[in-house]
Amino acid sequence: MAENSAAGTILNIEGLNVSYPVYETDPVRALRGIDLKVREGEIIGLVGESGSGKTTLARSIMQLISRPGRVDSGRIEYDGRDLATLGEEELRALRGNDIAMVIPNPRTELNPLVTVGMQIANVARYHLSLPRKEAKKMAMAMLEAVQIPDPTRRFKAYPHELSGGMAQRVVMAIALICSPRFIISDDATSGLDVTVQTQVLELLQDLVQQQGASMLFITRDIGITAHYCHQVAIIYAGEIVELASTQNFFDNPQHPYSVMLLSAFSHNPKLRGLWTKVVDAALEGAAESGCYFAARCVRASDKCRAEHPDMREMTDAHSVRCHHPVER
Amino acid sequence: MSVVLSVQNLVQHFPIAGSRSVVQAVNNVSFTVARGETLSLVGESGSGKTTVGRCILGLIDPTGGDISFHGEKIGKKHNVRSRGLRGKIQLVFQEPAESLDPRIRIGVTIGEPLRSLGEKREDRNKRVREIARRVGLSEDALYQYPAELSAGQQQRVGIARAIITDPELIVLDEPTSALDPTARAEIIDLLIRLQKELNTAYLFISHDLSTVRYLSHRVAVMYLGMIVEQGSAQDIFSRPRHPYSIGLLSSVLLPNPNLERRSEVSLQGEIPSPIDLPEGCYLASRCPFVEAECNARMPDADDIGGGHLVHCFKHRNVIDEEKATLDYFERFQEEAEKLLISGH
Repeated sequence: MAENSAAGTILNIEGLNVSYPVYETDPVRALRGIDLKVREGEIIGLVGESGSGKTTLARSIMQLISRPGRVDSGRIEYDGRDLATLGEEELRALRGNDIAMVIPNPRTELNPLVTVGMQIANVARYHLSLPRKEAKKMAMAMLEAVQIPDPTRRFKAYPHELSGGMAQRVVMAIALICSPRFIISDDATSGLDVTVQTQVLELLQDLVQQQGASMLFITRDIGITAHYCHQVAIIYAGEIVELASTQNFFDNPQHPYSVMLLSAFSHNPKLRGLWTKVVDAALEGAAESGCYFAARCVRASDKCRAEHPDMREMTDAHSVRCHHPVER
Repeated sequence: MSVVLSVQNLVQHFPIAGSRSVVQAVNNVSFTVARGETLSLVGESGSGKTTVGRCILGLIDPTGGDISFHGEKIGKKHNVRSRGLRGKIQLVFQEPAESLDPRIRIGVTIGEPLRSLGEKREDRNKRVREIARRVGLSEDALYQYPAELSAGQQQRVGIARAIITDPELIVLDEPTSALDPTARAEIIDLLIRLQKELNTAYLFISHDLSTVRYLSHRVAVMYLGMIVEQGSAQDIFSRPRHPYSIGLLSSVLLPNPNLERRSEVSLQGEIPSPIDLPEGCYLASRCPFVEAECNARMPDADDIGGGHLVHCFKHRNVIDEEKATLDYFERFQEEAEKLLISGH
């Protein structure tokens, strides 16, 4: 996939820290010093396990961290504007219009009492100030664009009448109807079948390419990033541990955690064992000093347990946060 | 190998309220599962995979066809619930968290199937401990609640609950799709180990083809309620013959940007509605090889040998067109092994 280095930066996240307070103990630090740049026309894949902070990152970009969670420090700049300084009105104009989010679990997020066609049309009515009729026409065109079978019938359907794949397409239609410049896809394809998933991914990719939009593609499935993203970022325990162009990453993954993730696809339990250390879940959260991954890492040394590693640029377009990166 | 489960011409239709038409969820499905064997049912959502599983478990009455378990007809609700069959066919669910009662301790959940078999409490507790060890759950976990366990651990509980009755067949309905890749790999290893130890037959329902390749002995590809192709996992993955199987396999995304299975055969258009199925082959509207015959009648199964059955008139042309006989999944495994060894 071609590199897009000349294009300008559309999203710039610097030193973002987000935490959720917990009763009578230390707050959970969901994001710890996230630095991430997304250029125009670029698809960047963010991969991590559940609980690694992926969704929190998506929600902080949308300025939708729900209380009592809070942004402790750091800034998020979209198109040169600091999102934290915008008022609620300005944000509302931005969300769904300029920045759109495709969410997981579509059936819980759709309004069960409104037909899906109207839910799509309402977005167009609000953001594009279209009259009802036009909005409906546009919603119908959108349903066709996301390839829902029998769109005229589905337009009048309620969310519970749709299959998971169809509900996901409805959510995509809602996200894409205003032709956003920046799309966040939060695990949007995880519930879909492979053939549907490929179609949905192709659809997203086409839109990004046609309109010069950018996308932050959050997923648990590292396989998708290999084929649809320009860059791959691996997130572990709220921090990015490896960031590289897709080709560099898959040719030469350097963080032991990245290799562990990839080893999960190997059908050879012995090889997988080389990179996986079985630990008690209780031990995992313990490391506050040192590398957060040290307890689960097969390469951990005393240095890892004492000193927190910084992000280091190893080669061009390949950075790793590790004292002992994997060498090949 | 002795056949544990045999399904012949299974049909399942669901009536639509306020209308005379029916949803044809399963149409004429036939397959067998032998002792110690894994048969995987793969297909898109709505292809009828889960419905087949539910018919076998006796959760719904099939509209037509026969299901026999060790030669004895089952498949009507009361038959499956008869005493002799209890605990012989078990189920593992897709969402581990949702399939466990949040207010019941793990140990009690695992032992619950034994209660309906009338086992005494002491025997039950002993057996629960034994099974927990088998699936890799600690003794402490037995006194915890589901919410205290990780998703991977929860699925171990689901598996423990299924194997505690010594079933001969386990229907695994997407047991790994809700899990992270690392947890998924562990659960798959566990399932393979248990099968070797207990010689249980698995009916593995999944859309995760990468897992299916690794776990199954045989694979049946479903499309709109019928099995379009079935055969050994090796045959299906390296030499698929039905255009739909080829389309399905080429959409798997493996984590290696250099391996892209761009197939010559691409499926166009829309999936027909299961309410109003076409007269001929169900794939005819999407298939690049379509000709007049395909629209006129449904192709019968063509036996290619080695139990490889294809429902397609044109499969010989398909195989000529599709030159990629190399097993894409195997190539990925080789590359992955190189990568994993080289860094260590």
